[in-house]
Amino acid sequence: MSGALISSTSWRRRNSLVLALMLAVPSITSPLAALAVSLDASPYQLIARGGGGGGGRGGGGGRSGGGAFGGGRSGFQNSGGAGGLNRGASRPTGGWSQSVRGSAPSPSLSRPASRPSGGFSGADRTPSSLGAGSRTQGSLGGGSRTPADFGNRTPADFGNRTPGNLGGVDRTPGSLGGVDRTPGSIDRSNLGNRTALTNGDRSFGGDGTFNRNGNLDRGNLNGNLNRDGQRVFNGSVGNNWSRNWDVNNVNISPGWARPGWGYARPWGTGWYGGWATPTWGWWGANAALWGISTLASAAVINAAVDSAVTSNTTYIVVPQTTYQLLYGTVQPSGSQGVTFLVQVDGNTYNLTADCNAGTIDGALPNDAAQAELLNAACQVAYGTAS
Amino acid sequence: MPPPLLRGVLACAALLGSCLMPAAAQSQSQPAPSSAATSKVLYTLATQCSQAGGPPQPCTVEAIDESGTTIYRHRIGTQTIAVRITDSPVTMAIKSGTSTTWVPLRTAGALFSTNTICFNGRELCVVNPNYLNSVREDRQDLRLQGRDLVKVHFGPDGRVNASCYDSGCEADLR
Repeated sequence: MSGALISSTSWRRRNSLVLALMLAVPSITSPLAALAVSLDASPYQLIARGGGGGGGRGGGGGRSGGGAFGGGRSGFQNSGGAGGLNRGASRPTGGWSQSVRGSAPSPSLSRPASRPSGGFSGADRTPSSLGAGSRTQGSLGGGSRTPADFGNRTPADFGNRTPGNLGGVDRTPGSLGGVDRTPGSIDRSNLGNRTALTNGDRSFGGDGTFNRNGNLDRGNLNGNLNRDGQRVFNGSVGNNWSRNWDVNNVNISPGWARPGWGYARPWGTGWYGGWATPTWGWWGANAALWGISTLASAAVINAAVDSAVTSNTTYIVVPQTTYQLLYGTVQPSGSQGVTFLVQVDGNTYNLTADCNAGTIDGALPNDAAQAELLNAACQVAYGTAS
Repeated sequence: MPPPLLRGVLACAALLGSCLMPAAAQSQSQPAPSSAATSKVLYTLATQCSQAGGPPQPCTVEAIDESGTTIYRHRIGTQTIAVRITDSPVTMAIKSGTSTTWVPLRTAGALFSTNTICFNGRELCVVNPNYLNSVREDRQDLRLQGRDLVKVHFGPDGRVNASCYDSGCEADLR
């Protein structure tokens, strides 16, 4: 294990020096304590010495108050005696699992290789592994190209490129597409006749906007487009949703909501097939009503949770909605139900969904956004791990 | 009740062999579970283990809370390997088969994303999300936030003398 490579020899030296100075010159204890803090804090903050109390250095003893190691901010306070490990006897939220579910994960301490900004697939790519043959600068496609790369190209190779034969088209200003594009030459007089396009409100505004609030029924298309061009449905609030739930009274970061969360969920998982497999009764009958043909896939939702875990974010934005699902609050309720907190419009709601019946707080989703929310919560609770 | 020193002498008299153990092992054995120790099975987990970097094998982990320590009894086929972990300070020791001797661990490591914890390098690795869930929830301060890999190194006295996180575990700080 590489941990064995870590040596604390230099540390012992440094801290011994600091301690010796403090003992010898009590009047400068404070500045030196500050120095000790700065030394401990960087760049070696990953190293924790000690290991909790009990030893010759652990609190108590002859060092009373104010010393670098006797309470206060020694710099060791938050480093954790054992890197955060303990004996693991505290029952976590959700309780103990009786079996590791899913596709039998293998024990491994191998971390995924770090990705360069552009990403890569597979292992590190040495120059010699970039395909067969050597690739000189002249052959890299995007590299610099010297005149020699283009061969001998004399002016004669390009033919007679006089202005008169560039495509055989006369490109004088007066002939650009056959339209007279000189300023003031566009006849806009007929734009005023376009009010005939609608019976309602499709008139042009004075600022050039086009009012489309006419006869279109957008009742199930409320929302906007995100920057990827996907429709985002505004999260609606059900009439029976209880609002203003106090998030401070809820553990939004249970032990399972961490890297590896898919297999860490301590309850039965893997049976929720999302909206397609199997096709739930609640889906097919209502999809058309909601004006949608698909819901976010398991992979998309899993990736959103993974990303949130990585960035220490306590919620995911439910795909294609404005709902913020506090994924750490997801808990099973019975064998097919799920409870969770969701935030929308500045309020927090505590909801219960039935992943089989397709209900939220006992009612069918009102719209596409609520269907997405239901699907996301059920995937986090019962979906297959990725 | 005899004083602590006398109790230790009496214990040595009763278990002469154990008094010949190295000092480190002695410190590991503290607090020694007494015969009257109360034990409580926290859970039994059906999972995967591997030994010496070998292939994964089905195994069960029985976690037992016993007098301030937690004992993890791994059953791999007919083999049993137990790991004992204490808090304050954190120490870990391993015992194989029918041995009665707890041997202090040199290292331990956990990778949350694979729900794996390994002891003594890859001498024994096990997928145990229960353990990691408990650790994670018990350590809601900054020390584990955003961390995936955690490794600890134990000194000759059985206590942690170095720990590292993530890419820091690849650093050579000699």
